[in-house]
Amino acid sequence: MSEQLASSAAVPVTTRRRGGWWHPDWHGLVWVSPWLLGATAFLFVPMALSLYYSFTDYPLLEPPLWVGLGNYARMAGDPTFWRVVKNTAVYCLWSIPLQTGLAVALAAMLNGRIPLRRFFQACIFLPTLVPLIASAMVWMWLFNGEYGLINRLLAMVGIRGPTWLVDKNWVMPAMVLMSLWGVGQAVVVYIAALQDVPRQLYEAARIDGMGRLAQFRYVTLPMISPAILFNVIALTINSVQVFAVPYVMFRRPDGQNPAGHFYSMYLYENAFVYGQMGYASAMAWVQLVVVLALTGLMIVASRRLVHYRRV
Amino acid sequence: MTAGGRALADVTKLTRRAAIGGLAAAGLGFIAFGPRGAREQGARGRIVLDYWEKWTRHERDAMVKVVDAFNASQNRIFVRCIVTSDIGQKSLVAIAGGDPPDVIGLYAFNVPPYAESKAIVPLNELAPRFGVQLDDYAPGVRQVMQHDRGAVGGGGEGTQWWATVNTAGSVAMYYNKALFREVGLDPERPPRTIAELDEAHRKLVKTNAAGDLERVGFLHREPGWWSWLWAYHFGGRIYDAATDRSLAASAENVRAMEWMQSYARDLGVERVKKFNESFGNYFTPENPFLSGKVAMIVQGPWVANLIGAFKPEMEYGVVAFPEENAERDSRSPVGLIDTDVLVIPRGARHPEASMEFIAWTQRQDMTELLATAHFKPSPLAKASEEFLSKHPNKGIRVHYDILSSPRAFIAPPTRAWQQCKDEFDTAVQKMWRLERPAAEVCGELDRRMQGLIDRAADEKRRRGA
Repeated sequence: MSEQLASSAAVPVTTRRRGGWWHPDWHGLVWVSPWLLGATAFLFVPMALSLYYSFTDYPLLEPPLWVGLGNYARMAGDPTFWRVVKNTAVYCLWSIPLQTGLAVALAAMLNGRIPLRRFFQACIFLPTLVPLIASAMVWMWLFNGEYGLINRLLAMVGIRGPTWLVDKNWVMPAMVLMSLWGVGQAVVVYIAALQDVPRQLYEAARIDGMGRLAQFRYVTLPMISPAILFNVIALTINSVQVFAVPYVMFRRPDGQNPAGHFYSMYLYENAFVYGQMGYASAMAWVQLVVVLALTGLMIVASRRLVHYRRV
Repeated sequence: MTAGGRALADVTKLTRRAAIGGLAAAGLGFIAFGPRGAREQGARGRIVLDYWEKWTRHERDAMVKVVDAFNASQNRIFVRCIVTSDIGQKSLVAIAGGDPPDVIGLYAFNVPPYAESKAIVPLNELAPRFGVQLDDYAPGVRQVMQHDRGAVGGGGEGTQWWATVNTAGSVAMYYNKALFREVGLDPERPPRTIAELDEAHRKLVKTNAAGDLERVGFLHREPGWWSWLWAYHFGGRIYDAATDRSLAASAENVRAMEWMQSYARDLGVERVKKFNESFGNYFTPENPFLSGKVAMIVQGPWVANLIGAFKPEMEYGVVAFPEENAERDSRSPVGLIDTDVLVIPRGARHPEASMEFIAWTQRQDMTELLATAHFKPSPLAKASEEFLSKHPNKGIRVHYDILSSPRAFIAPPTRAWQQCKDEFDTAVQKMWRLERPAAEVCGELDRRMQGLIDRAADEKRRRGA
């Protein structure tokens, strides 16, 4: 015991003697310094600059000019801003619950004993590996009102399909349908969570006379609720920032389809097409605050809804 | 530490040393024997200019020939032609970041906002020193090259010269002669007025047994690149540069938009939507003009290139787009001028050398070489007879007439134009879908455009012009 105490007391003396920048406490910082430098140069400094630009009129080609809260006030009276807010909100409201529901349902199915389970798991994950632009091009053809596969299938059951990507009433359903294409990543997380649910809970539920649905409702869902929370937060962040797919599909040489105009697209247009970096920066900060607020709300709500296992 | 542990530590050390040593050796090897850029290969001892150009495929190839000819013509300057996509955005960032290329090939509509911000070098004094004169260019083309920074908000130096034009385009009507013949129209006597255009269109409309459209004469939104230009063919404008006012609610524009709505009403909005979906992409043989689904289109001279590539047997004619009233004076047709421009960005390292290169591209032989490859007219006022007679575009003289016409027009020269154009496009979509009367939508559009124009003017004033 006394030997142990002596050796532990000797450690600080030794390190203090070596001292200087090579002190062991600095080792960690030295190892993470590439990340720190990168994050400072490409994240923290640009964020700070964008906050400053949000209070300026900054057309990029000329120096920024202080306008105070002018850019934030301008949003209130900008009809295009409200249109893109509405479109993005509607997209999130439909896409997040549908993606979550579908991913949980697929995971539950693929977690059971079904033939070719691994094959189907791979099939569902595969679309997430396809680049966004490539999948947008494929969907443009699938949704084509005249030659598209979807309308061909509808025609086979006697339904005349709409012009999905042109008709303002069908643009949003098309976008939401397309978003379901990328549920593979969430499915993988849910399958992992499902496999972590203790078997004895199901046995206990069966003994108590629960059917399959009741087991799912009272055992599975609470047990995978942390995974659901994680995926819903990630989906919310992604959905609020939706950009590449609608940019390819709805910003055409003959003009932007207003029904397919989303927040991040308008932000980009202001920054790099209209040369209004100040206004775009203000929009970016509003977007960040909204995402933070939504995430905070979900975390607060999760205290009552999410079940964490105590080990 | 056990013997096994020591062995593992030794192996780890060895592996780490080997990895670091390997990476260092690879890095040194790359530096010593890696690929060499053009700077090292062909430009030893010369001033190297970076020239960003947006063109790809055959258009790029033609420009590369001009650049190669320049590089071979002297031994002081070496130009690297760098194909750059999204050139507007990248130029904006490069100039703002203080690291621009030496020469940029932009679009005509970029000139006013860049000039307003002094993001490009004025050529008034520089260009004449290299033998390039404003008078060398066709009258319509000169509108694109110049801009008065002081026209709005004051503070300018009067009209200044900001850009040269490497290829010029004017917008005309291309029509399918075979389809004209098929429905009993005289292919040598294309429509000259809007009424004649309507009549030809009605004759050319073809539907199938289910009532779906198979062919139309004319569609305003195919390809729909210039949704704002109809007012000019109704005797009006959409912007007055002298007063910096939007004219979107002018009687001429409202009449033009009502005319457009009459097509949507006659053909049926839903039917046209479905018909539009059957069109292939512009740069493919499924282009609706090439496939015979649309008989008359508003287009620039480059469409002749598409015809040559995908449907060389197509019999087409070219005429200035019809006007609402009276017979057109063929010497002064109305038409949009839409060109590519060459500019020297602010902060360019070698403005003199850049101008020397630009002057080379503006020589008559070079402009004609480039224009022939692009199927376009040359931007210069004078063209050689050989160029005109051997030109691959059958409508080249029509495009020349427009370039030289006093009634030719350019995109509104306001720095708010990009945003105004997007507003215009959105409003036109509303009108095309017959959601609301044209007068109402135009009134709303006018207010929004004026708001954007006023804000741009305010910003300029705040900056002390």
